Amino acid sequence: MTLELLEGSEAIAASAIAAGCRFFAGYPMSPFTGLLESMSRLLPAAGGVCLNAASEIEGVNMALGAAAAGARAATGSCGQGIALMQETIAEAALNETPLVVFNMARNQQDYFQATRGGGWGDYRTITLAPKNIPEAVEHAQLAFHLADKHRAPVIFYGDPLLAQTRVGVEIRPLDFGPLPPKDWALDGTRSGTGKSRQIWTWAMGKATQPGPGPDRHWKAIAAKFDAIAEVEARHEQRYVEDAETLVVAFGTAATFVEYVVEELRADGHRIGWFRPVTLWPFPGAALAQATAGTRRVLVFELNAGQMLDDVLIHAADRSAVHFIGGVSIAESGLAFGELMDAPVIRDRILAALGRETRS
Amino acid sequence: MTVIDTSQPPAGPARRVAEARPSLLLGEHSLCPGCGEPIALRLLLEVLQELDVVQRSIGVVGHGCYGSFVRIMDVDVLQCLHGRAPACATGIKRVRPDCVVFTLQGDGDMANEGLHEVLHAAARGEKITCIMLNNGVFGDTGGQLTATTVLGQRTKTSLAGRDAREHGYPIPVAELVAGLRGAAYVARGAVSTPGAVVQTKRMLTRAFETQLAGAGFSLVEILTMCPTGWFVPAREGPGYLGDSMERVYPLGELTT
Amino acid sequence: MERELVVTGIGGQGIQLLAKTLALAATREGRYAMLSADYGGEMRGGPSKASVVIGDGPLRALPVLASAWSAIVAHHRFSEPVLARLRPGGPVIVNRPLVDPASLPHMTVYDVDAAAVAAAADAPHAIGFVLLGAYNAVTRLVAPESLVSAMEEVLPPYRKQYAEANARALAAGADAVRPQLERAGEVVA
Repeated sequence: MTLELLEGSEAIAASAIAAGCRFFAGYPMSPFTGLLESMSRLLPAAGGVCLNAASEIEGVNMALGAAAAGARAATGSCGQGIALMQETIAEAALNETPLVVFNMARNQQDYFQATRGGGWGDYRTITLAPKNIPEAVEHAQLAFHLADKHRAPVIFYGDPLLAQTRVGVEIRPLDFGPLPPKDWALDGTRSGTGKSRQIWTWAMGKATQPGPGPDRHWKAIAAKFDAIAEVEARHEQRYVEDAETLVVAFGTAATFVEYVVEELRADGHRIGWFRPVTLWPFPGAALAQATAGTRRVLVFELNAGQMLDDVLIHAADRSAVHFIGGVSIAESGLAFGELMDAPVIRDRILAALGRETRS
Repeated sequence: MTVIDTSQPPAGPARRVAEARPSLLLGEHSLCPGCGEPIALRLLLEVLQELDVVQRSIGVVGHGCYGSFVRIMDVDVLQCLHGRAPACATGIKRVRPDCVVFTLQGDGDMANEGLHEVLHAAARGEKITCIMLNNGVFGDTGGQLTATTVLGQRTKTSLAGRDAREHGYPIPVAELVAGLRGAAYVARGAVSTPGAVVQTKRMLTRAFETQLAGAGFSLVEILTMCPTGWFVPAREGPGYLGDSMERVYPLGELTT
Repeated sequence: MERELVVTGIGGQGIQLLAKTLALAATREGRYAMLSADYGGEMRGGPSKASVVIGDGPLRALPVLASAWSAIVAHHRFSEPVLARLRPGGPVIVNRPLVDPASLPHMTVYDVDAAAVAAAADAPHAIGFVLLGAYNAVTRLVAPESLVSAMEEVLPPYRKQYAEANARALAAGADAVRPQLERAGEVVA
């Protein structure tokens, strides 16, 4: 194995390209910019195209077009730019285009945006939240696999630490199993044959080959997302067996929590952690099981309490759930604030345990 | 001017022409009597066939009355979000450079919601062909003011007529696009007279030839009748178009 | 074993370049490295901090270090929060006279007048590489020749003409700290 020292953004770009991504369009915004620059540098050599979109709206629609034509295609931004893309993300869900969206977010305040969305219609977005750069490299490929597998948009939820830290990583294509053929993709070959293709949110089909129409189509889409929820929820957990206290966190914050939990266990605390790897589908059944025997469920996230909703929905005992996270932004506005720090998290957990904070 | 009498079916050879249908047309349109958009669709489909590019054609269709054409055109089609067709077409063309990629948009779609997308696609010299069906109103929602509504025109949101002090001035899309270096072919046609129909078909042919030659972006703006949205009888549509829109939006080739 | 280095100074001292050089040298030796940068918007004069973690297996360290084993202190300004996280006893290279060696009584301090050493090596711009040379002589985290090749690799094309001077700076930094190492009687690593 040969490790390359890559900035997270560069590693994620290289991994996406190793997964076959051949089209990317984006609009610069820190800390997403590094991913756009890396794609711009690396994609042409791989026979792909990276376009500097004139807006996030243009970028996401370019990517939707490329994905509709059968390419593995992606766009990205930060939460603010992803906000502009909501209509198209919903459209991709409803017209079944496998679009991948990299949210190289500035913080964890986009949980609702990713899991609830702001588009119209009954849709969901599969959301992967990697905890560190090696996992981000894996998720950059898994995102395309899941998008193709389900013909649905997938959001990759990154952050400034994943974007900007450099680590030694190995980039190689990962095999997640077989996929159905993209016989739905637009390539023009069926034009004029009487069997031309149509990608349309309303799915009304052609005069000679009527489609299901909106009512049946949208019911089918809703059923598809129910099925995805059954099979794609992923989580990680540790020390659940004997934990009196379980700390729930996602993304990089979960890595910090894991570190602190190890310290606290070394000090004799019966504590464990639970991490949703997919934010949607949220691993609710697994969380219910993990919290069945715990006295406290602590939710740590760098926002005002968003994943907290999902934990409250699924925890075995709602009254055991306590929020120990909060909004925490660097002075620049572009990165995490002081809460993303092991000693601070340790203090918050200890405070929640009702013990005196150790210095 | 001469107005074609459509109160009776045409007789003889004229009837055969009227009833001939390009094989890419899968069925009847469902738009209003006197609408110009089905004529533009027919020209588009005929040109794709005559250029022998049918089985590598992909269309991206926006939102307006013409959106229903996705059901009757035997072409691979992406029905996209309002205004975004040039962006989607860009993505398609970049990953399938051998395909012939076009957009079908209205004035509300291209000049209101999506002016940004068409201008940037043109400036990039994107090798796609964009077709704007310009009738100066939002036809699909019943005749409201668009960016191309001409001064003085009455719409449901400019009841006393478009007043520049209140509603600003109309946007000449073809002229805007023609001002960009990436645009290799820009023309404005109409479907209001037999001569204009013939001329517009030639423009569409040249636009697609421009794309096939890889020369850059091409746009054909087509003035179409919307008697329903204009609140005039169907048979008066062509005349009204000539008296109002055509005076503001001159026909002809702007960039070749 | 994981070793953490924090580097603190001000923009223009070559903080980011020296940290990247060390991380790349370790990577090229087949080891795991992590490099985190934290610097202000200004190219010069603002705070510039970096951390490097090197290990023989996948790293456990967080991208915001909870604590660190060693440090290079190129300037006293902005250094306080970084130094507060040092574990007592670890090696610290300080840039004399900008940093007072006596200011870190709980650490094993080595002081180098990086500006003077760089000037004497005819590499006056390469203060950062003098400090890195000294640091690596003390800690022996990577082979000296790995540092030189990593330095050549990280230089952007328009800076390649500095490669030889930078190599001299790395060697001069190691030489400058050697008498203190010998006095201590052993290598810290």
